[in-house]
Amino acid sequence: MIDHTSRPVAIELSALTKRFGDMAAVDGVDLQIAEGEFFSMLGPSGSGKTTVLRLIAGFEQPTSGTVSLFGRDVTTVAPFDRDVNTVFQDYALFPHMSVLDNVAYGLRVRGMSRITRHARAREALDRVRLADFADRKPTQLSGGQRQRVALARATVVEPKALLLDEPLGALDLKLREQLQVELKELQRSLGITFIFVTHDQEEALTLSDRIAVFNNGRIEQLGTPAELYERPVSPFVASFVGTSNIFDDAVSLALLGRRGTHSLRPERIGLTVGDTADGITAPGTIAEVIYLGTNTRILVDLDAGQRITVLAPYGRERFSDHDRGARVTASWRDADVISLQSPTTPPTAPSEKTPIEMRSR
Amino acid sequence: MTSKAPEADTSTPPTHPARDRVAAPSITLARRASTYLSRHARLRLAVLLSAPLLWLGLVYVAALAALLITALWTVDSFTGQISQTWTLDNIVAVVTGSLYQTVTLRTVGVAILVTIVDIVIALPIAFFMAKVASPRLQRILVIAVLMPLWASYLVKAYAWRSVLSQDGLWDFVVAPFGIESPGYGLPATVITLSYLWLPYVILPIYAGLERVPDSLLEASSDLGARTWRTLGLVVLPMLWPAIIAGSIFSFSLSLGDYITVNIVGGTNQLLGNLVYTNVGAANNLPLAASIALIPIVIMFVYLAAVRRTGALNNL
Amino acid sequence: MNLNYSSRRMTAGSARRSAALAAVAVASIAVLTACGTTSGSAGPTTAADEVGAGEGQVSILAWPGYVEDGSNDPTVDWVTAFEEDTGCEVTSKTYGTSDEAFSLMKTGEYDVIAASGDASLRLVAAGDVAPVNTDLIPNYDGIYDFLKMQSWNSVDGKSYGIPHGYGANLLMYNTDVVSPAPTSWDVVFDKSSPYAGKITAYDSPIYIADAAVYLMTHQPELGIENPYALDETQLAAAVDLLKGQRANVGEYWSDYLKEIQAFETGDSVVGTTWQVIQNSVTTGNTAVVLPDEGATGWSDTWMIGSEAKNPNCAYEWLNYIASPEANAQATEYFGEAPSNEAACEFRTEGSCEAFNAGDEEFASKLWYWSTPIEKCLDGRTDVTCTDYSQWTAAWSEIKG
Repeated sequence: MIDHTSRPVAIELSALTKRFGDMAAVDGVDLQIAEGEFFSMLGPSGSGKTTVLRLIAGFEQPTSGTVSLFGRDVTTVAPFDRDVNTVFQDYALFPHMSVLDNVAYGLRVRGMSRITRHARAREALDRVRLADFADRKPTQLSGGQRQRVALARATVVEPKALLLDEPLGALDLKLREQLQVELKELQRSLGITFIFVTHDQEEALTLSDRIAVFNNGRIEQLGTPAELYERPVSPFVASFVGTSNIFDDAVSLALLGRRGTHSLRPERIGLTVGDTADGITAPGTIAEVIYLGTNTRILVDLDAGQRITVLAPYGRERFSDHDRGARVTASWRDADVISLQSPTTPPTAPSEKTPIEMRSR
Repeated sequence: MTSKAPEADTSTPPTHPARDRVAAPSITLARRASTYLSRHARLRLAVLLSAPLLWLGLVYVAALAALLITALWTVDSFTGQISQTWTLDNIVAVVTGSLYQTVTLRTVGVAILVTIVDIVIALPIAFFMAKVASPRLQRILVIAVLMPLWASYLVKAYAWRSVLSQDGLWDFVVAPFGIESPGYGLPATVITLSYLWLPYVILPIYAGLERVPDSLLEASSDLGARTWRTLGLVVLPMLWPAIIAGSIFSFSLSLGDYITVNIVGGTNQLLGNLVYTNVGAANNLPLAASIALIPIVIMFVYLAAVRRTGALNNL
Repeated sequence: MNLNYSSRRMTAGSARRSAALAAVAVASIAVLTACGTTSGSAGPTTAADEVGAGEGQVSILAWPGYVEDGSNDPTVDWVTAFEEDTGCEVTSKTYGTSDEAFSLMKTGEYDVIAASGDASLRLVAAGDVAPVNTDLIPNYDGIYDFLKMQSWNSVDGKSYGIPHGYGANLLMYNTDVVSPAPTSWDVVFDKSSPYAGKITAYDSPIYIADAAVYLMTHQPELGIENPYALDETQLAAAVDLLKGQRANVGEYWSDYLKEIQAFETGDSVVGTTWQVIQNSVTTGNTAVVLPDEGATGWSDTWMIGSEAKNPNCAYEWLNYIASPEANAQATEYFGEAPSNEAACEFRTEGSCEAFNAGDEEFASKLWYWSTPIEKCLDGRTDVTCTDYSQWTAAWSEIKG
């Protein structure tokens, strides 16, 4: 993991704001991204993360605030004069050009001779293992292949930073996991800053050095994946990054004996039949049992009035569909309870979302 | 593409005995036919297309054949009756006559000029409509482009006649800047035809630009191309089929026009006038048909040339 | 000429133009689908002996403005009176060009046609019209004698119809620009005309006759006796004259509204015209003259179809339209001189004078449109004359 504090700043956003009519898509964002960092911007759709990326690339002009790239203020500089390149969500490959010409495009407009640029483009295609597809048209490629062509096209011009706008969003799960690994390897070998926009929290957690969680045009929380997962600051982050049971003020008072908003991860809750348990306990009734393979998700209606989600790993306590309606006791350690800031805005993601659900979007 | 007709299933007991089962659709003749068709995609296609194809065949092919056949007949010039004696005289006259060669060259020249003028004007307008204007302005502009089509062709041609006339609008507005009105003649014909066919050129180019995703323009810019490089390397090649489609309109419509040149063309005549004269004044259908074959042949040559560039592949 | 009159003319004129457009549409369909009908039936060559009881209806093919029943303009109606008098219900169809009329008449659906001289002989030759027994038409007596039994309405001494209206293809000029006032066609035919580029001419093969009229005076050695009877040498001379003229012509006109506008804007300052056009020019700086060489003109003829299904009503119509009242209404509405001597009493004050009606000297200078045919109209038998199709080819050649 890269320590962002010890490296020079690659990208700096100050008080960046972008309004579309009355709506502030980006609302006063301050951010510093280090050279060589794999940085993710995570958030639901409409949270402003893609707009920030487009402001960095230069496709949009900010309403106010500045964008600096490698120490230079580029707020008013056109995209073609910025040292960053973009991998688009729809790949944006030129349909009338061959794969090779697509990759060589950036070199062509820089005035490189045909022979040199084709040689470079072939090398780049080689790196993404598409050398055999150089003469095809983009329409003759699969989604994953197009994705890799887009990567090759954006990196062949040797940008100082690469911007990726949900590049894996259109691919199926298996391919996505495979390309995540390739992306990480590519970033490591190029050694340049990657700014990765995604709504998939697991993808962000897997790849990133740091993550900024966006909500309503603002950064809700900025931190390493572990910080975000283990110490979410708000109900929004707690429920958007991973799954959390959120206890509001009243429930907290009833269950924990103190006021405030609290979050508790489903895998930190134990479930026993009867009432023998350690730590904090709460009795309830099983409402639903969902078999997930590696573990089982159990929804429990606590007597205190809250429905909680419990993740029981495979092999410990076995619950099945027949246990619906059974009386159980939920238990957890107080140390696993995270105290959150009171919600300023209601979480946009429902708290009962599991990683599986999020991934299958 | 095959689907089976639902069959009555009696092996499994109904899960909700209290409710009546929904009966399987009864197997009617129509149902059998549609089942058969759904299994035979080619037959389905043939049935679907036969009516329009028959119509196309009748209207276009038969009409073209009739034209060709008529061109091979002669007419009794005084009684105006067509005599069905086969002769190549008309076609030979049209191919070898210096009059027809001159007029053909003039007509093709006008059609090419009109097409070039229209494309040059249509490209920036269509680009502004498709890529710059807000959705609201876009709708307004589309209507504005279509609006001239609501007015009669004759009204527009006469409007240009009045604009270009002595002491007309042109003399009033443009002449002070040192550009004299071209008066009536071929330049006026090119101007008027360009105006008349402009919507037919803007609309396909606009539609073609709409199909170019914004992300492609952004990608080009992102990769370092300035606006003109992007237009030349990305937009124009992708627009080629649309430009060709537009040019087919302006070119073929110009080839066949005879009214505009009559109104603003001064003493000039185009192929259409020769056809009109021979049908209308001379009542010589066979010769008119022979002349009418000229633009048809030119269009075939043009389409074949366009096809070689591959522009029709993406239409 | 009052404004009301000219606006009515506009209505009839635009109707005529759209009819011409429709004709083009019809013609193009004809081009596409024609499989060539070769009926060629020779019609009856004998005229009727008596007018029997009316059949109750009659169908008429005519120029726009010739058969008005009030549906275009409620104040313009001379058909209703006919229907009430005779019990013959009138259905009419208008045409835009003589050639359209010619092909429509071939359908045999029309009992009566109003044909100009460039169609009438063709209709006779094709057997589409029958001789007319003028004894059965009392109003025939009132027709000017100089219009009767002319080459465009009679063949071999047999009358083929009743003259309707007539007019001249005059020389119009812009009085501000053209000075001194011309008395000769020189101003349009002379290669060194000071008005080069602003000359206009009628856009039709029949305009060759205008050149022939000019040549009759200026090159008498060509021996042209009748401008519609040109042998090949004479035609070549006329074509040469017209080719030379083309360099000076600003534009040709066939749509008369186009010429009105061109004279109003000053794009044209001198050229051939109809009286009605000069009447319609609103700028007031034009004049017309019948040049010393004479001029061409037209005289329309009411004819009866050889396959007429309602011959009695057809005779009734011919008699009615030749009456002073109806003749006055129809010719005034169209803008030409009437054929009936008494018609002027029923026309607007001064309108007959505007069209030189009944002026025999004026009429004698006119060469009425006739269809040029191989058999020379001037009676020559030692040569064959050029026919209309040759004139058409020549006209295309002249325009280049």
